[in-house]
Amino acid sequence: MLTHIRQTSIGTGYDLSNSVFSPDGRNFQVEYAVKAVENGGTAIGIRCKDGVVLALEKLVTSKLLKKDANKRIATVDRNVGVVYSGLLPDGRHFVSRARDEASSWRSSYKAPIPGSSLANRMGAYVQAYTLYNSVRPFGITGIIGGWDAETELAVDGSVGSGPKVGAGGKKQGVKEGGPFLYMIEPSGLYWGYYGAATGKGRQTAKAELEKLKLDPKNGECISLEEGVKEAARIIYLAHEDSKDKEFELEMTWVSAVGGPTKGRHEEVPKALREEAERLAKKALEGEDEEEEKMEE
Amino acid sequence: MNHLPQAWGRPRDDVYGAYNPHYLPHSHGGHQAGHPNQHTQSPIVTGTSVLAVKYNSGVVIAADNLASYGSLARFTDVHRLKVFNKKAVVGFGGDVSDMQYLDRLLLSLHVEENYAGSGDVDDKESDVALMSAKNLHTYLSKVMYKRRSEFNPLWNALLVAGLTESNEPFLASADLLGTTFSAPTLATGFGAHLAQPILRRVVPDEEASKALTREKAVEAVKECMKVLFYRDARSMNEYSIAIVDKESGVDLKLDEKLEGQSWAFADRIRGYGTQTA
Amino acid sequence: MASLFSASLPSSDPSYSFNQAPTTASEPRQHAFYPYTDNGGSTLGISGADFTIIAGDTRSTSGYNINTRYAPKLFKIGGDGPNNENARIVLSVVGFAADGRALKERLDTVVKMYKYQHGKDISVHACAQRLSHLLYNKRFFPFYVTAILGGVDDEGKGALYSYDPVGSYEREQCRAAGAAASLIMPFLDNQVNLKNQYDPNSGPGLEKKPREAQPLPRETVEQLVKDAFTSAVERHIEVGDGLQTMIITKDGIQETYSPLKKD
Repeated sequence: MLTHIRQTSIGTGYDLSNSVFSPDGRNFQVEYAVKAVENGGTAIGIRCKDGVVLALEKLVTSKLLKKDANKRIATVDRNVGVVYSGLLPDGRHFVSRARDEASSWRSSYKAPIPGSSLANRMGAYVQAYTLYNSVRPFGITGIIGGWDAETELAVDGSVGSGPKVGAGGKKQGVKEGGPFLYMIEPSGLYWGYYGAATGKGRQTAKAELEKLKLDPKNGECISLEEGVKEAARIIYLAHEDSKDKEFELEMTWVSAVGGPTKGRHEEVPKALREEAERLAKKALEGEDEEEEKMEE
Repeated sequence: MNHLPQAWGRPRDDVYGAYNPHYLPHSHGGHQAGHPNQHTQSPIVTGTSVLAVKYNSGVVIAADNLASYGSLARFTDVHRLKVFNKKAVVGFGGDVSDMQYLDRLLLSLHVEENYAGSGDVDDKESDVALMSAKNLHTYLSKVMYKRRSEFNPLWNALLVAGLTESNEPFLASADLLGTTFSAPTLATGFGAHLAQPILRRVVPDEEASKALTREKAVEAVKECMKVLFYRDARSMNEYSIAIVDKESGVDLKLDEKLEGQSWAFADRIRGYGTQTA
Repeated sequence: MASLFSASLPSSDPSYSFNQAPTTASEPRQHAFYPYTDNGGSTLGISGADFTIIAGDTRSTSGYNINTRYAPKLFKIGGDGPNNENARIVLSVVGFAADGRALKERLDTVVKMYKYQHGKDISVHACAQRLSHLLYNKRFFPFYVTAILGGVDDEGKGALYSYDPVGSYEREQCRAAGAAASLIMPFLDNQVNLKNQYDPNSGPGLEKKPREAQPLPRETVEQLVKDAFTSAVERHIEVGDGLQTMIITKDGIQETYSPLKKD
């Protein structure tokens, strides 16, 4: 028994304090925070060709809660959304910080914060909560998704169009930016992803995401609209393991300025969401039938 | 050796005397004897009139694209109408840098308004309400009044055009003193003298504006823009025009040109320049 | 015109191509921001035995321009919600409209807070005192307004209070304020307080006794208000367009609007 405890290092004292390593180089408080995330409703993000979809399996904790109210996917700047899984109050704080970062970037640079910079700053912020004894790590994994403008963006509040050619003129046809998707874990670790999943159903979700065409190097990626349908299907599939619990599907998306959301992070329109849910349910039924056939 | 890094590389006080920051602005340690802290006391780069008319299902608003530096026509592609959302457009007259400040303020307000909501959705059923033009006007007029009370005014005359919560046409103004008023037709700056009488002839009262069609409203505004170009030396012939309609939302055109100008009246003008009699 | 061009005659000194060289080194020019303006218009109030009437024209001006023909100067104070339902107090403000609005909003908040804290409506005389404080507290940067406050007092009598911009106030039978105050007030002195009116049968010549002022009936007062404004409109350019009146009784506030000349 004693050997068992020593093996897992639980009860050795090294798991009681934040910012203290165990002799084998682990920070247990961070690992426990990850456990908190693993119990949350599944959250996913898909980076598509022409936009990003964020989707969430919102577990209904009480029948007294109003349907479709209490939104959980947050808008951070016009073009950026955040979804998270884990301890909800920690998520709220995470979102609040992200909003502050976005607005302070705007007041410094008179332009929206690039996705990479926002992810970097949030990563640094979350990481700081693993360093001090007076705090505990974030009990969430956050997914940040959005669209960085592709064309040269006017400075906030600027007037006129500036010189068309010559010094200070514009370089024609420059394209940068595009869709972005980052996932930040309780340790502060973050990577950019084509598809990201966290929460209870992350394993199922990741397996499904891997089947999608999301890497532009392997040819044409899926479109935003396909992404919405896949996101709904994946959330429904990931929910299969906790079928007894009721849930609501929450979905938001961001497209390019020329796309359906005009570069803004918005809720997926009701009609499209319902269609995606219908298809998701149908896909599940199909799968059940196949399973039944196999059993036969 | 001096161990304070901020002193390194600087002229030594014992050799050159203490640094005299008197010429620097107040914010950087400067202070001129007898000169108090100064705020904006006059506008620098300015936009001229803004016009607007309410009609049966919305509002038409227009302003030209000129930003003047005194009598110099400095910038000719400055858009002085700013769309806030589907329900509200703001037209700015007066100082352009203060307009830019307000534009950024409106942008951050718009971002905050959408933290909870979902874009430009106005849906009673899902409890998502869009900020109305009326709300926006109240907000802006409080910003203007607060700044005038701090003796640091935002040197603008604003028109807020759009729709109320219940989608009724709305039009009101606010200026650098925080003065506010509302009417079926409004015009700032020179427009108050030249355009307002013409607009009032078309729309004498609230009742007339309820009977006015969109086409007639646009026609009246365009006619006034022309009159202003004839007579206002700080105006130009390119302008922006926006229509906020309860059915079709905001329609903003940024680079319109004045049409059908006639300077036939000009050679009858006496009393200016060389024609003194 | 000719003198303008003769100013710079040819000389050997370095000169300016334009006709007027700066005479002195340019000093920093002081163009102070003036935080006030006058939006014109007039208000008046008369108290009766069991009612108070407050009236104001609805024209708003800046200089010779009419800003709008409908800008109310009368505001219900207290009551419920943003539309002040069931209010029993009216504030009229004339002068600088932006200050007027700010003052109205402060008083309205105060009166509503009073009800939340004490569970009853504020009395007019307490409200009047409070308004005086609001004005006096800002005496070094005053609200540039003449305020008139009206309601019904604890005994059910019409109550009317008039103010100067820094909070000096008194309860009166009648008061005119604003642009046409000097036109309307003497008329009110004569017609409401019966100044310079004598009982013709009370004696010979200078021994005639002055008539005693009595609270006037509502119909008479309403007619006086209309006459006062139609006359003021004729003689003052900043008064006109519309007449807004509010009559406060124990049963509530009755509001009316009637057109005035728009010229």
